Amino acid sequence: MVTVQLERMEHRVSSNHSEWVLSFALLAEILVFSAIADNFLTRGNFVEIARTSIETGLLALALTPVIVSGGIDLSVGSMMGLAAVVFGAAWQDWHAPLIVSAALALLAGFLGGALNAVLIARFRIPALIVTLGTYSLFRGIAEGITHGAVNYSGFPKAWLSLGQGYLGDIIPAQLPIFLIVLIGYTVLLHRSTIGRAVYAIGFSADGARYAGIPVAKRVGLIYLLSGLVSSLAALIYVAHLGQAKSDAGTGYELDAITAVVLGGTSVFGGRGGIGGTLLGLLSLAVLQNGLHLAALPSELTGVLTGTFLLVTIGIDAMRARPRRKTEVEEETPMRNSQLAILCGVILAGALIVAGTNAWLVRSLRPADDATRVAVDAHKRPVIAMMPKAKGDPYFVSCRRGAEEAARELGVDLVWDGPTGLDAAKQNEIVESWITRQVDVIAVSVENQAGISTVLRKARQHGIRVVTWDADAAPDARDFFVNQATAQGIGETLTDEAARLLNGSGEFAIVTGALSAANQNEWIKFIRQRIEHEHPLLKLDTIRPSDDDRDKAFVETQTIVKAFPGVKLVMAISAPAVPGAAEAIRQMGRKDLDLIGLSLPNICKPYIHSGVVQEIVLWNTTDLGYLTVYAGSLLSENKVASGAKSIQAGRLGTLEVRGSDIILGTPLIINRDNVERFDF
Amino acid sequence: MQHRREIAIAATIVALGIVVAFVAPAFFTLANLRDVFMADVPVLVAALGMTLIILTAQIDISIGSQFAICGVAAGLVAKSGLSLPVVILAVLLIGAALGAINGALVAWIRIPSIVVTLATMVALRDALRWVTEGAWVQDLPRNFQWFGLTLGAFEVVTVGIAAGLFAGASWALRNAAMARTIYAVGSNEGAARLMGIDAAFVTFCVFTVAGALTGFAATLNSARFNQIPSNTGLGMELKVIAAVVVGGASIRGGRGTVVGTLFGVILLGAIGPALTFVGVSAYWEKAIQGAIILTAVAAEAWPARIRKSGGRLGHSPA
Repeated sequence: MVTVQLERMEHRVSSNHSEWVLSFALLAEILVFSAIADNFLTRGNFVEIARTSIETGLLALALTPVIVSGGIDLSVGSMMGLAAVVFGAAWQDWHAPLIVSAALALLAGFLGGALNAVLIARFRIPALIVTLGTYSLFRGIAEGITHGAVNYSGFPKAWLSLGQGYLGDIIPAQLPIFLIVLIGYTVLLHRSTIGRAVYAIGFSADGARYAGIPVAKRVGLIYLLSGLVSSLAALIYVAHLGQAKSDAGTGYELDAITAVVLGGTSVFGGRGGIGGTLLGLLSLAVLQNGLHLAALPSELTGVLTGTFLLVTIGIDAMRARPRRKTEVEEETPMRNSQLAILCGVILAGALIVAGTNAWLVRSLRPADDATRVAVDAHKRPVIAMMPKAKGDPYFVSCRRGAEEAARELGVDLVWDGPTGLDAAKQNEIVESWITRQVDVIAVSVENQAGISTVLRKARQHGIRVVTWDADAAPDARDFFVNQATAQGIGETLTDEAARLLNGSGEFAIVTGALSAANQNEWIKFIRQRIEHEHPLLKLDTIRPSDDDRDKAFVETQTIVKAFPGVKLVMAISAPAVPGAAEAIRQMGRKDLDLIGLSLPNICKPYIHSGVVQEIVLWNTTDLGYLTVYAGSLLSENKVASGAKSIQAGRLGTLEVRGSDIILGTPLIINRDNVERFDF
Repeated sequence: MQHRREIAIAATIVALGIVVAFVAPAFFTLANLRDVFMADVPVLVAALGMTLIILTAQIDISIGSQFAICGVAAGLVAKSGLSLPVVILAVLLIGAALGAINGALVAWIRIPSIVVTLATMVALRDALRWVTEGAWVQDLPRNFQWFGLTLGAFEVVTVGIAAGLFAGASWALRNAAMARTIYAVGSNEGAARLMGIDAAFVTFCVFTVAGALTGFAATLNSARFNQIPSNTGLGMELKVIAAVVVGGASIRGGRGTVVGTLFGVILLGAIGPALTFVGVSAYWEKAIQGAIILTAVAAEAWPARIRKSGGRLGHSPA
């Protein structure tokens, strides 16, 4: 009887049914996507899947023993930001050699991991609280050092090839590093006494202590390693994107935790392993990649990931349940295999349903589906257009214009992008568009250094490239649709502020996120303009709104009271203007002026009531319209690189300066003209 | 000492308050304190729900997404022309339903709560993005903002309701048998079951109530404005969880009070504005916030370790 129970115990530890379930799911995913996605089953695509999941993969590896021990580490993504900044600063500001800079970054990871380790293992503070604190601390130090704005780039080719190059033309250069870490962690967790100790601690920390395991040391070690591996992930991230900025790795901790948990590692500790994590990671990466290739909206990723998690872990939990109630006398050997089959069937069923739904969505989406079939004979050109962030009202209004142009021209418009500002995601999506072989790629660039490499690759594949809203390196694209330069915006805003303040006075800026590249460019030009033209203007403070209307509201309330001299607030992020306006309105401060950069529709009530004096913007709908027009002309070779002007439908003839297509000057929108705009 | 963490946090608040009082006395004007507090009322309401969940030894990281959905729902229901009480009721029901989904999966399917809510967090957020495509809810009826009251009256009503909820939760967690079962389940689920408590049902109810509270928090927050963005509540789960655990609730369940949560909300909510008044650059704010959280919890852990070293077993992983 005792042996039977021991066997059962052993069974519970070592066998991972969720790995079976997950393998089935992965297989189903691959089947569905090879049916509905273009060029999914190609070697190049699998290479890209591998490449894009390496940073998250490293974090997931580091998190596996942490979660097996019953802990959690939320600080891994923030650690990436800190390590990236340390690396960039060491190389560029302190002129250290690359190797030394990399060593310093790893040292930062080591120290960060050590801080977590000491607080968790020695002070015995719950890991969730500690890493919640260091989650803010690490990112905060990175932002503090760089003021959120510094973007270290221009790393030497040799370093970049670590993240962008190939070994023997096939294997992504960073894959061997990942494999080494993978082997290291497999040995540590599954082939060493330390690994067994980690499992024992996860089962029961008290029990492990009684068994003579040095609990604090083992727990400390895995958090230390977690910090170290996060900084390694940061180095690869920097090489991959060609930039080191304080926002590196934002939100990666969630992806990594999802991969680990999906792989069957129990958050209660004591169960799971590296193999499961690898499967979890793969199925998430394939899901994201497949959705991009099938031109399904990337929002589906979240919906499907969530469903996926619930179904796999749910089946696992249901299966484990009978054991909890009463010890079932004897489990027949049949049961497990039956269950595995059952799980597989259910999952395959779920995926088929999901797949057919995806089909349905896809076929329902373009209303002119019939016409598409008709002209399919001469294949309609596909223009793939990417905003910086999909849900941002600014880009939503650009999309309206883009769709209008696509209808006029009879081209297929693919509109996809990251759901929040995320340079790495942009690269990933462009890669998938190259694999899909679209005709034109139009990108609003979040990170110039990082995306240019991928865009050049797209051009090599014969895809025409347009940038819009924010530019890439000039040789990485055919044309840039230029709506207004950062300099133009900065100067217009400063001049308007000076005009409203009669040339002198104090003002404050409410920006987007502290690390937002656009806003930081504008602020740079605002400062310059003050220095050269309006020396009596004084910028008292810059506060972040994180593109959140409610945060802008609170920040404005605080600014006005903390800096009583402020007579004008300049809000330079679309949601920040209504937030600041509502704050000023509720305080009843009629003497305060508010200007900024935002969309007319969300500011209309405040412009009419006189809280917002004016906003500066260009016609965003026209911007989207023009971009698609330019892309279409390019794909039909109707515009050459030396052109002086182009014909863009309802916009008429527009000037081309060098390779910049000029949309026009920024609009100043105030009470007199706001009703003319609907975007 | 029974409420060591609560006292530690209160001491931290007082210490920071003294520093701020010397450096930037303007922080302590009535108008400013009112604004700081008003901004935290929705957080406090959501944190009450989170306190219940954490007391049950569970966690809910999906409340940011619930908050966003409830906010948008409040706007859409209000625009359909229903009267205000109906709107509030509808949003409470939607919040409760979202909480109930989490609760059912945790209680009866027995999936760990962090997995369930991780899944619903990403799924609900992306579903909302998909449906709204980032558009804000605009052109709300006139009586939506401030519930059709004046700003002053609305603030009194909001604070009154929040205080009522707070007092109710505080009283119930001490005296009501039904609410005491939360502590029982959180301390030792098996023992609670042997006592005849339906642990699964308690867990389910806690998630449902927390969902309703989140819905209510979203209503209160939306009503402060005249349009509703569809991307609110990003990162809210971290803010609320940090407030609750800094306020002394044990992440392993069974220990914690709503008074601690109130202190946690006040501490974390006041740090940001206070730093602005003190003149700290925004760039260092996040780092300082992290450092304050760590110091507050480490300060409490320090004497515990000296006193109990050798006596206590194991470590506290989660």
